[in-house]
Amino acid sequence: MSSNADIVVRNLTKVYGRFVAVDNISFEVPRGSIVGFLGPNGAGKTTTIRMLTCFLPPTSGAASVAGFDVFSQSMDVRSRVGYLPENAPTYTEMRVQEYLAYRGRLRGIDRSTLKTRVESVAEKCWLGDRLRWPIGTLSKGYRQRLGIADALLNNPQVLILDEPTVGLDPTQIRETRKMLADLAGQHTVLLSTHILSEVELTCQRVIIIGRGKILAQGTPEELKQESARRNSSGAKLVVEVRGPTQQVKMALGAMPAVENVEVLSDGPICTLSLTGKLDGALRELIASTVVGRGWALREMRTTGTSLEEFFVQITDPGTALNQAA
Amino acid sequence: MFKTLTIARRELMGLFYSPVAYVVLVVYLLFVGLLFALLVFAPGAVADPGPMFEWNHLALMFVVPFITMALFSEEYRSGRIETLRTSPISDFAIVLGKFLGALAFYCVIIGSSLVYVLILSAFGRPDFMPVLTSYFGLLLLGMLMVSVGLFFSACTQHQVLAAISSCAVLVTFGILLQAIGGLLGSIISQPPAWLGTAQRVMTYMSFEPQMQHFSMGLVDTSHVAYFVTGTFFFLMLTYLVLESRKWR
Repeated sequence: MSSNADIVVRNLTKVYGRFVAVDNISFEVPRGSIVGFLGPNGAGKTTTIRMLTCFLPPTSGAASVAGFDVFSQSMDVRSRVGYLPENAPTYTEMRVQEYLAYRGRLRGIDRSTLKTRVESVAEKCWLGDRLRWPIGTLSKGYRQRLGIADALLNNPQVLILDEPTVGLDPTQIRETRKMLADLAGQHTVLLSTHILSEVELTCQRVIIIGRGKILAQGTPEELKQESARRNSSGAKLVVEVRGPTQQVKMALGAMPAVENVEVLSDGPICTLSLTGKLDGALRELIASTVVGRGWALREMRTTGTSLEEFFVQITDPGTALNQAA
Repeated sequence: MFKTLTIARRELMGLFYSPVAYVVLVVYLLFVGLLFALLVFAPGAVADPGPMFEWNHLALMFVVPFITMALFSEEYRSGRIETLRTSPISDFAIVLGKFLGALAFYCVIIGSSLVYVLILSAFGRPDFMPVLTSYFGLLLLGMLMVSVGLFFSACTQHQVLAAISSCAVLVTFGILLQAIGGLLGSIISQPPAWLGTAQRVMTYMSFEPQMQHFSMGLVDTSHVAYFVTGTFFFLMLTYLVLESRKWR
């Protein structure tokens, strides 16, 4: 067990009857980092999180959070973790301030500091102007923020957030992201989501889970590179040129690095898709060739290497890539 | 203990916010008012509120399930059980907190019947010691009823199911056992010894004879033991149900 990891998971398994929800997974979350826990619906994200927050006991394997075992030292873990469950359930008849004070008392916050703690987390989560509001009258976005404020109340070492941006509008999503970025460094954050852009923007590391197994983990950049490497035949260079289609196709096909050229659209402006050794030199050569022939180069982009495509490839049960993983 | 009281306070407050609690309060007051008007409040009669307390359980066995039905069911249904059980608080403290919260509301309800005692004392001079023991009996009865309700609420996420199940059990102890015991005694002319024992057990387990003693001013340890052990039994069952949910 490495000393600078706040979440250490070793061969964790959860079985419901015959259904294996989480299948022998292992990973670590370094102290002070934000890690995205990514997977399609039903992949086992919430089950894993529930085991880490001591809500469910694992069938086998072990996990430690903030240095304490989730099974045998449950109270130590719970007092060091801030947890936002999916949908952030609250008591709708209570007022925001009342609810936060109640949660603070349950978490054992000292009476003398409770009021300032409540005000400070409310300020941090942009709830300052809603303190006196009954929770039932708050919008989904505010309730989600209230859930995050609740998770932050005892200034936890580890924050575990299950789908924190679900149901928020684009502005709120951006604000939440900004808040999460601020939290990194002070807290270790494990963020479960199925929204890829969120992970790309906020997380330093990504763990992709599917059907209970870890399919890939690394930084978003590493995963993109991995995608390109493992899927080199699938990566394509799409070139859009104003010029005679057949001549453009012949000119590009003649380049040694290009293996195959496919015409995607014909007309005064043609779009071609190239496979082969798609490096920077090839792109420069294409640019100079097209311009040298007097055609106009309108666009050149690589496809098949985004995190999203990697995610789709890796979590789709049918792909050969996934079977290799 | 502090966290237990925090939960108890929240439950009590939650009950005051819910409309069901007020309906229940009104129904109870109407029923006790009826008992008061029919059995106690008569010109020239002895100023004895005893009969009013003796039959209180008939209303309470329908009233208490409505107080307790949401205690756990609603937590399961809304998903709040997750926030609660991932907080640094033991399961037993959660059970005890919810029990105390509901019991406090129960005390408010039975306390409201004091108004009839006050009316009676305006017209006569009732003996206050039996009133005191009656309320003590009602408190013990409430502990048992609330723990039964709490147990059924912990068993399901459907409030109505929890209410009906706890009603069924309370009606069994409130009316059925005694009725069956009485019926057996009247149809069998020469009952065998075991039937006599069974009858005695059934009578002992029924609420009515116990409440009758309390309303007469008698505090019998066997009755106190009955309610206290019963309460403890159902609180433990609730705790076990809560624990077992983890392992499903």
